[in-house]
Amino acid sequence: MEIKRVRLNAGKLLANNDIVMLIVLIAIIIVFTLINPNFLSFKNMMNIFYAASIIGLLAIGMTYLMIAGHIDLSCGTVAGLSGVIISVLLRDTDISAWPVAFFITLAIALGVGLANAVLVNVFELQPFIATLAMSSVCTGASYLLSSGRAVLISNQSLMHIGSGRVFGVPITVIILVIFFIVFGYILARTVFGRSVYMIGGNVTAAKLAGLNPKRLAMSCYLMSAGIAALAGVLLTARMHSAMPGAGSGGEFDAITAAVLGGVAFTGGRGNLVGCFIGLIIIQAFANGLTVLGVNSFWQVVAKGILLIAALVFDYIRRRGLSKSLEEEAMRHLDDETA
Amino acid sequence: MERYVEFEHIDKRFVGVHALQDISFRANGGEVLALLGENGAGKSTLLKIMSGAQYPDSGKTVLNGKEIVFHTTQDAINAGVSIIYQERQLIRDLTVTENVFMDFLPRKRFGIVDFAKAHAETQKIIDEFGIPIRSADLVGALSVAHQQMVEIMKAYRRNSQVIAFDEPTASLADAEIEVLFGVIERLRSEGKVILYVSHRLKELFQITDRIVILKDGKFVRALETKDATESELIRLMVGRDLGDIYNNLDRNAEKGEVVLDVRHLVSKKVRDVSFQLRKGEVLGFSGLVGAGRSEIMRAIFGADPIESGEIFVEGKPVNIKSPRDAINSGIGLCPEDRKEEGLVLERTIRENTTIPILKMISDHGIINTARERGIAKGSIDDYNIKTHSMEKIVIELSGGNQQKVILGRWMSAKLKVLILDEPTKGIDVGAKSEIYQMVCNLAKQGLGIIFISSELPEVLNISDHIVVIAGGKISGILARGEATEEKVLALAMREHTREERN
Repeated sequence: MEIKRVRLNAGKLLANNDIVMLIVLIAIIIVFTLINPNFLSFKNMMNIFYAASIIGLLAIGMTYLMIAGHIDLSCGTVAGLSGVIISVLLRDTDISAWPVAFFITLAIALGVGLANAVLVNVFELQPFIATLAMSSVCTGASYLLSSGRAVLISNQSLMHIGSGRVFGVPITVIILVIFFIVFGYILARTVFGRSVYMIGGNVTAAKLAGLNPKRLAMSCYLMSAGIAALAGVLLTARMHSAMPGAGSGGEFDAITAAVLGGVAFTGGRGNLVGCFIGLIIIQAFANGLTVLGVNSFWQVVAKGILLIAALVFDYIRRRGLSKSLEEEAMRHLDDETA
Repeated sequence: MERYVEFEHIDKRFVGVHALQDISFRANGGEVLALLGENGAGKSTLLKIMSGAQYPDSGKTVLNGKEIVFHTTQDAINAGVSIIYQERQLIRDLTVTENVFMDFLPRKRFGIVDFAKAHAETQKIIDEFGIPIRSADLVGALSVAHQQMVEIMKAYRRNSQVIAFDEPTASLADAEIEVLFGVIERLRSEGKVILYVSHRLKELFQITDRIVILKDGKFVRALETKDATESELIRLMVGRDLGDIYNNLDRNAEKGEVVLDVRHLVSKKVRDVSFQLRKGEVLGFSGLVGAGRSEIMRAIFGADPIESGEIFVEGKPVNIKSPRDAINSGIGLCPEDRKEEGLVLERTIRENTTIPILKMISDHGIINTARERGIAKGSIDDYNIKTHSMEKIVIELSGGNQQKVILGRWMSAKLKVLILDEPTKGIDVGAKSEIYQMVCNLAKQGLGIIFISSELPEVLNISDHIVVIAGGKISGILARGEATEEKVLALAMREHTREERN
């Protein structure tokens, strides 16, 4: 009996995804630091966060949508398109203040988010297919706008946001952290956040309890597209140019971060704390491999394996959970009879 | 050869629970044996062992003299054991034939499916059962009762020796139950071993020959149905005398003004329905499954669009276009299907309790945790939800407690009208009587209650008036004193024959 109890507790601990992933992250950091002590330096840590900032922003919108039981495969290309739009606006029009160009870009991106929401809500397309199609539309549009070439920017203040630092911390990292805190708080503590969990957990029950699933889903699509626009503009600011193909594949990394962080494809589960840990795991892993001098093509393979590992782990955890649930339910029924 | 199943000293433990303790009994071919017991008594575990989904710690199961050991559910099917579960295991987008032959479609050469043969054989079974469906019908388009028949045909087609029914009538209305019983009689006459699990005592007297009572994982007694009485069965399975559940209810006598007035409501499957509900009144809705009871409520609650008609709450016309509008007008709904439509199963009791009142527990969109916890605690206490924590995930609760979570959800919503759609479905006797009393208490607080139920004794005894629905219309309204099961059934069947021909 005693042994069983201990095992159950270990099982409960394993069921807490955040703790498991934190342990994985610490293990990665220890291993890479043992191999190369430079890994743990402030400079390298900032590199990791810096590299994580664009994907991280996309992962925020992705987390909201996945918890709501949806998905946005267009967020990466919306980011790419947004970079092209702001660059073209600054190059080809009289607009010289980047914030003005940014708001126009944001408005167009929100239009894409709205289109996603309409396809899913009104025409009841599967989110997976609707946003995949939209992704292709955005990729094509960014090639058309840029004639397939990189669009350079010369706006100094925009470039500064991309590469500037405050006390050694890149501005984009500061933006990333602020966004995670703000959106993490919204998800965890507000009526909107709670409603997102409920529609993702059981859309019919949520509707019959007075929530409006379609409006909530629309808000999430708009949010995802809006944040993607910001991510694309920051990427452009960092690179000093917009590449028409940039951003595609970002949705994959965002999904990986979310899933590693315990966000379920089936909806209703996960949080942004977990997603942040997942994000850092991916980037620490990639950075560590770079520090070790591993071929970058292998890193792409490693990323895929990381996502598979996360999904397999989620499966094992769910299976364990459903078993313990069954036992718990049996015990509870017993209580009731007593 | 005589058929039988014998359980010998079956024992099964889960962590912390001794689910089955030394269970021994025998079920003979050609008889219907009832398994009776409250939730948690061990019936489901026993069925799971029979189906190969669970494996006993000790003891053996003997089928026709041979010990049988199942490691997978396929083993059980091959050995001729079929379980008809409450949740139907059918594929809605396939035809009756494809479902009936799901695991063994007859083949021609080169593995090509012989559909002509499959359809012919399926139609033969359908005709033997005497059910008005075709082998090429899509299962999703059939009524719940007919879907259940398809499930039974599956077992019949496999030539199963042992067929166990787990709460087969939970979603059937009385006329449909008759059809089911006809089929069970037929299987019995063919000498099959039939196990029958149900919470509805009345049915056991109609269909079973013997009753085995389990309590807390132990075998209590086996008795001939003809020698048993209802109160004796309750006493044996509950271990205490519940008395007459209905007579001991503390009812509400005070009826107030009209709180809900529905005039000429028309929607999908609802044809010109008008009725009034008073404060403190419990208005029962009876009728066959598919008669349109739930559809009327879904229309009133804004879950289905209204084509025409008017709804007044406390005399004021309301325009309800969504469940949110209904809630804002003071109408709440506990839907028929707890798991699919009522609860967010993977979230906590606390979160499930506050879904409709998120505005109330928040300031400027930010949830006030203390207020939320207070409300969740209040509803756990008031509705006697058995849990050690409000952070428990609702999937872990029993059916009765899940239903109480849904009832508790509406406690703070300042409702005027509460609609309960089959609130006691699949719930054991103890929890049922608790829910009846809760309904009376809510009526005492001045709520108007609409109580839909397919169980006639229940709806007759709980309601002040009974509205009988047939074919999407009201076919009669009876007061509690004058309503009898026969009268209600007669009204419910009034349009049934015509409906079926269409």
